[in-house]
Amino acid sequence: MNLKNITYKQIVFYMSLAVLVIGSLLFVNNNHSFYDRPIAKVLEADLEEATDVVDAYGNEDRLFTQSIEAEMKNGAVKNRNIHLINEYSSSGAFDQAYKEGDELFVWIDEEAGKDEELTGTIQDVKRDKHILPIVWIFIFILHLIGKRQGFFSIISLLLNAAILSYALDIYVENSDIGLLIICGVTVVLFTITSLLLINGFNEKTYAAIIATLLGTFISFFITYAVLWMTGENGLRYEAIDFLSRPFKPVFLAGLLIGSLGAVMDVAITMSSSVFEMYENNHAIDNKTLKQSGLHIGRDIMGTMTNILFFAYISGSIPMLLLFLKNESLWGFTLSLNLSLELARALAGGIGIVLAIPIGLYISIFFVNRKRGRV
Amino acid sequence: MNVLVVLAIILFILMVLIGGRKGIRSFISLFLNFGVLILTVFFLLDPAMNPIILILIACAIISCINLFYINEVNSKTKTAFLSTVITIIFLVLLIYIMTNKLMIQGFTEEEVEELSTLFSLYIGLDFVKIAAAMIIVSTIGAITDVAISITSPMQEIFDQNPDITKKDLFISGIRIGRDILGSNTNTLFFAFFGGYLALLLWVKDMEYSIGEIANSKIFTSELLIILSAGIGIAMIIPIASWINSYYLVKKREQDALQKQGE
Repeated sequence: MNLKNITYKQIVFYMSLAVLVIGSLLFVNNNHSFYDRPIAKVLEADLEEATDVVDAYGNEDRLFTQSIEAEMKNGAVKNRNIHLINEYSSSGAFDQAYKEGDELFVWIDEEAGKDEELTGTIQDVKRDKHILPIVWIFIFILHLIGKRQGFFSIISLLLNAAILSYALDIYVENSDIGLLIICGVTVVLFTITSLLLINGFNEKTYAAIIATLLGTFISFFITYAVLWMTGENGLRYEAIDFLSRPFKPVFLAGLLIGSLGAVMDVAITMSSSVFEMYENNHAIDNKTLKQSGLHIGRDIMGTMTNILFFAYISGSIPMLLLFLKNESLWGFTLSLNLSLELARALAGGIGIVLAIPIGLYISIFFVNRKRGRV
Repeated sequence: MNVLVVLAIILFILMVLIGGRKGIRSFISLFLNFGVLILTVFFLLDPAMNPIILILIACAIISCINLFYINEVNSKTKTAFLSTVITIIFLVLLIYIMTNKLMIQGFTEEEVEELSTLFSLYIGLDFVKIAAAMIIVSTIGAITDVAISITSPMQEIFDQNPDITKKDLFISGIRIGRDILGSNTNTLFFAFFGGYLALLLWVKDMEYSIGEIANSKIFTSELLIILSAGIGIAMIIPIASWINSYYLVKKREQDALQKQGE
């Protein structure tokens, strides 16, 4: 009976999941009427012309012109054909070729008569129908391999994204509250929700939460002090894209949030291993705990700092290439495009290394409290 | 004094104080990795080079540094290396297909407005492949970390239970992987959140609609980076567990055969 119950529940679960997947995929492929912006689906794309170009620095590229026949998918002009011209390069730094089946946001030129063909210009690509399958692949792979833990990391990602979005809404609406204060509070929330989700309600988690917060804020204050002492010499804030706010708080808040995950990882590794050693042998003394804990910390410090390093630096690669291909000097290119990313990576590294002794001593403190109770 | 120099000195002192000799190695590995990355950028400048092949080579060298230099050359790091390379090859194919479909290569409209006045954008490089390369590099650190975090305790389990079957060993590898999956994905998620803060504020300030966000080049590309990181970290768990259990059991069988022969 019990077994039957579970399978029944599972059947319901997988059926509703299948409905959700198929339904959402059908939706993004047929949601044209929900958009105000006109959407056109490419029926035919012909190459009209190709020319070779050489820029002032001797870079060779090829420019193409496509003549596109497309069908309108929404609005008053639905089902009518539209003629579009697309110019693109073979390097594709900001353009691309279109082919049959691609869906594009377009601007329609002034209304043509009922029988005439519409013309217009291409604005952007409709990407939602391509990103959604990847979201589902992500969810399936994480759930399939990670089971419960995979599911929790998806929940944790969603929850943290929601917290961040809500916090930024508060900031945008009340700009008199500092971004740093809002992000400081957010960091506390992030730490508590993520660690509880990953590790559950127990003393290991509490020790890790305290160690994470101490590690993150101490390393933040060290970085802040360094910025203050050096007069921010060597940081090129002009490299931040998409800046709609004062640059310094945005950079510092990003630095605070960015190192949080790594510091959490170190803190939870430290507290899990200290508690594990204590559970295996209640008679273990503090000195042994300290030594073994430090040993574990040493093993993870290098790889953890490297994780942050690559996560930050890699995003700059296309910009580095653009600068260098335009004959900018290496020193100028690197300092302009990498100074903020390197500062973030180094600050994160400081947080990771500090989290090792902090996590170790706090876990030992918790273990000793437990000992006192027994 | 330059901010970066002071931060680097502080990091170095802390690493030596807490990590001793291993701390020095960890610090040097950062520099070596930076060197590999700059060298990769140098080779990427040549339009005749295939960025995907280049980045696969770079990733192999980076995982050598992270595994063999920070740790040492032994069976644990060797199997971790092999698993990393296999995962990276799978992942790069997946990411290349996605970047091609999503058309997120190169620069965004907002960036181009500013850049096109200063730079020539027709520079003859293949930006689709470069975008795929960039995404793979952002997760390489995490992937090697998961690989070594699985193969190392698997070796311990094998040493403690020398008669363990291949299947049981594989399952314990998966179980170890599951335990670290959450905190590892979190590490990358928060690193990306921190990096995207300026962008997120921009989206809020410009009052983008959901429809605009879901289709914009910049948002979908950042989302693809986050999703690929998660997929990569999850994928290496079964790959590393399988390769390591296969290797350890195979080696046990060979050792047994040799003993019989003697």
